[in-house]
Amino acid sequence: MIRRAQQAIVVFLIASASGVVAIAQIRERDSEWTAPSEAAARPNPLAGRPETAAGGAKLFHVRCASCHGPDGRGASKGPDLMDAAVQAQTDGALFWKLSNGNTRAGMPTFSFLPEPQRWQLVLHLRVARRAAEGRARATGISEAR
Amino acid sequence: MKLRLNIIFMFTVAGLAATAPPLLAQERAYFVTYDHYLEEPGHLEIAVANSSGFPRDGGARHAPWLELEYGLTGWWTAELYLEGVTSRRDGSAFTGWRWENRFRPLKGEHAVNPVLYVEYESINEASRIQKEIVGAGRLPFEPIAELREKHAHELEGKLILSSVVGAWNVSENVVFEKNLSADEGVEFGYSVGVSRAVGTLASGASCRFCAENFVVGLEAYGGLGSTEAFAAAQQRHYVAPVVAWRLSDRTTLKASVGFGLTENADRALLRLGFVYELPIGVRK
Ligand code: HEC
Repeated sequence: MIRRAQQAIVVFLIASASGVVAIAQIRERDSEWTAPSEAAARPNPLAGRPETAAGGAKLFHVRCASCHGPDGRGASKGPDLMDAAVQAQTDGALFWKLSNGNTRAGMPTFSFLPEPQRWQLVLHLRVARRAAEGRARATGISEAR
Repeated sequence: MKLRLNIIFMFTVAGLAATAPPLLAQERAYFVTYDHYLEEPGHLEIAVANSSGFPRDGGARHAPWLELEYGLTGWWTAELYLEGVTSRRDGSAFTGWRWENRFRPLKGEHAVNPVLYVEYESINEASRIQKEIVGAGRLPFEPIAELREKHAHELEGKLILSSVVGAWNVSENVVFEKNLSADEGVEFGYSVGVSRAVGTLASGASCRFCAENFVVGLEAYGGLGSTEAFAAAQQRHYVAPVVAWRLSDRTTLKASVGFGLTENADRALLRLGFVYELPIGVRK
């Protein structure tokens, strides 16, 4: 029995270690994953309250940056959220995706966050995109892919 | 065995402590009930916790445990537990280890989200963490030194059902446990919980005391007898308010006071937990 226990622990440690050597590449987005049209049609109730975006930025830093990168430009574990194809989706579609997640693909479900906080995150994604575009214009380099 | 686990644990913590940006998955306020949120893939959660049981007669027993939870994939979370027991009059003992796995078969959110739970336990009769309550009858109260000699290999299964209802989480768990070391039937138990985040909008500044950092809830759990006897009068049932407080981006404090509802249950079951979460293997 002890032998079996040791094997289990070794498997656990190897699996943990394989997480450490994650590939240092930006993950591709999945263009097949789409929100149902009814969900996509929902407007962001915070759209007229730009002051709530700062809370979204904080939430993003805490909950999302480890996979999508601190500026949302993607990392090894999550795709670029500033990408034009992501930003072309409606607020409702982004809300649906982050609420539902895609646990098979590694995107967690965030339905445990109160709805207003999930809308704050959507608002933040829009503000961050505009900020990235502003920076791109200022430097004359096209950051917006 | 105990020493080796301790060494592995120390190396894991030391090797990881310095790394990575802040981050936290959801914080389950429950101690016994499980909801459908798994650990995020590549995240390790380290928790130290304690259950103190105050029986109607006899001395209190305190059961500390260490929990390592790792998100292997988006649909599979594994956990290792090391547990002990201590009491004022009766000394202390290492009470064993548990190896837990949770699987989420469906990828998105549904009205009811199922999760399958399978756990192997190598523990002894002195175990008091009371992470699940099954069967019937009171916990044995022989001296710890005696109880620790009685080993048990147990297999535990749970069906976890969890839903989001408005701002609330509602979870129901059914527990099956088979002691592989003894010729007894399968024991049953249950646990149900409701919880919700206190805050609504997140504030822009980081704050420790604001409402958004708290999750409150209530859980109820108990044993339901076994295939050999239902024994309603002998069962142990509890109801327990729970609270989780996010102290920082990575740390959460959890507390619960369980009230024993039946004769065989402890009068009170105090639980306290401190959770530290770290993402590993994150590269830009
Ligand atoms: C554990 C890693 C992880 C975390 C944490 C995470 N994501 Fe993701 N996210 C992913 C992965 C992987 C995908 C791609 C899913 C796929 O391929 O279907 C994704 C996809 C998305 C998409 C869909 C993009 C598209 O292509 O349409 C959005 C929107 C998104 N994430 C937002 C968020 C937000 C907001 C948070 C924080 C609340 C977050 N994610 C946290 C891993 C993560």
